[in-house]
Amino acid sequence: MIEVAGLCKTYRVPVRTPGLGGAFRSLFSREVKEVHAVSDLHFRIAAGERVGFLGPNGAGKTTTLKMLSGLLYPTSGTLKVGGFVPQERHPSFLQQITLVMGQKQQLLWDLPAIESFELNRAMYGVELAEFRRTLDELVAMLRAEPLLQKPVRNLSLGERMKCELIAALVHRPSVLFLDEPTIGLDVEMQVQVRQFIAEHNRSTGATVLLTSHYMQDIAALTPRLLIIDQGRLRYDGDLEALSREVAPERRVVIRSMVPQLLPLGFLPQGDGMVATVPAGETNALIQRTLAVAPLVELGVEVPPLEEIIGRVFREGRPRSEA
Amino acid sequence: MSRKLGAFRLEVVAALVRVSLLTAMQYRASFLAEFVVGLLSAFGVAVPLFLVYARVPVIAGWNLDGALLVTGFFLLYNAFVAGLVEPNLGAVVDGVRSGELDYLLVRPVDAQLVISMRKVAPAAVWELFAGLGVVGVALSRVGVPGPGPVFVAVVLFVAGLVATYGLWLLVICTSFWFVRVDNLRYLLGAITDAGRWPVSVYGRGLRLILTTVIPVALVSSYPAMALLERLDTDLAFGAVATALASLALSRWVLFRALRNYASASS
Repeated sequence: MIEVAGLCKTYRVPVRTPGLGGAFRSLFSREVKEVHAVSDLHFRIAAGERVGFLGPNGAGKTTTLKMLSGLLYPTSGTLKVGGFVPQERHPSFLQQITLVMGQKQQLLWDLPAIESFELNRAMYGVELAEFRRTLDELVAMLRAEPLLQKPVRNLSLGERMKCELIAALVHRPSVLFLDEPTIGLDVEMQVQVRQFIAEHNRSTGATVLLTSHYMQDIAALTPRLLIIDQGRLRYDGDLEALSREVAPERRVVIRSMVPQLLPLGFLPQGDGMVATVPAGETNALIQRTLAVAPLVELGVEVPPLEEIIGRVFREGRPRSEA
Repeated sequence: MSRKLGAFRLEVVAALVRVSLLTAMQYRASFLAEFVVGLLSAFGVAVPLFLVYARVPVIAGWNLDGALLVTGFFLLYNAFVAGLVEPNLGAVVDGVRSGELDYLLVRPVDAQLVISMRKVAPAAVWELFAGLGVVGVALSRVGVPGPGPVFVAVVLFVAGLVATYGLWLLVICTSFWFVRVDNLRYLLGAITDAGRWPVSVYGRGLRLILTTVIPVALVSSYPAMALLERLDTDLAFGAVATALASLALSRWVLFRALRNYASASS
């Protein structure tokens, strides 16, 4: 469904020396710096897949998403979405995709959300009967019935995101580009949006490419991960394999302070202690611990997702698994 | 870049107009306040005319009635700019700066259509009335011509609107490269103000500019000349050709400019 090969995007950004003098000089000679937002990206996504696009700020996630949706021209490389070259912006291509940006809005601010849906219906040329059917479905899934007639400016952030999703889906796109759809939402609303995306993917078979800062989004929604950093692909594979590969160790945590355990490799942490060991040695350590302190309360933790991803960025080795 | 006119559907135009009117009606207070502004701007255009003609009966072959006709068409042009061109193309400049254009450009409709039609300033209707009023008064003094000249005048006026819209779009397109072009907009507004006077009062060079490069004379002087039956056929065809060229050039530049659209990072 999506094929990306050797994709590059370079922005030319004016460099200004700070201060009034610098600003004055830049009026006459503009120094331009090239920023490589995306360099040599390769990946393929099959129809119906849900893929998480992860990376720190400025990694090139949004730039890639915008190239895939035809908004930006790639500097070089090839990309195809559903058989189309996105930047040609062929109407039949645009008809198939949708773009949701958590940081921007497409709803008409002063009007009730239903007006935005109507406008999109006209732009996408959706038949009235089909539009009603789709709208009913989406509204039911998101429990958004009471929101439709309120002016968008009076909606809360979470309510607005529900309406943004409806507006983005009235034309039944087969490819969804979601750029941080849960940003700024409270936990409850995040869960609802996640459930909705998963359910929508199951019922329509649409391909989903999602970027997020929230690891829970990725953990709950996207079996496959693409990690990019500084415009380059660092990892392509599933989450479990990543955690096995990058974080092969486990943390054995004890809820109280037992000084006798210090020689076993435990270090004090808060009120308790923690030891980090290779996954294969976890059982041995637990047995030794219980031999020293049989009544201790003990737990085993896999390093949190944030930490695993952080390691990929820090160590920066390109990996590919899928 | 797709240039398919198949994406240009009447249904979309209707939906855009509906939404822009609904939005504009959210602000009733400003609609009424604009009424005063519309009247004042009509006065602002007409008063210098009366001042000048109080001293000189004829300027470059134009008497007061003829010049009034030019003024009326100029007010109609102003209404078009204030009602449609400025709100939409001005929003393009902001859209480039804020990246708000993103959502418009992912729609399977003609980019030029959405960019040019999504906003309407209904208050411009007052200026429209003022323009129609002035044209009416002028016609009542010079006498209404037959259907032929009226038809030619209407065609020329529309051609003039198209030609000037193309120029505005060209100016706005520069924002894809330079991002901030507000000053250029004001400059263009000031230059097109020259259209309020009959074009023959200007020297030869300026006359050429006002009919081709900045074709504001096409929208005010030419329709008036048609109604007064003082326009050569050559000039009329030239005006239509200028309009088509301006539209084609601006459309080509717009689609080039879109390639340069850098969006704004989120």
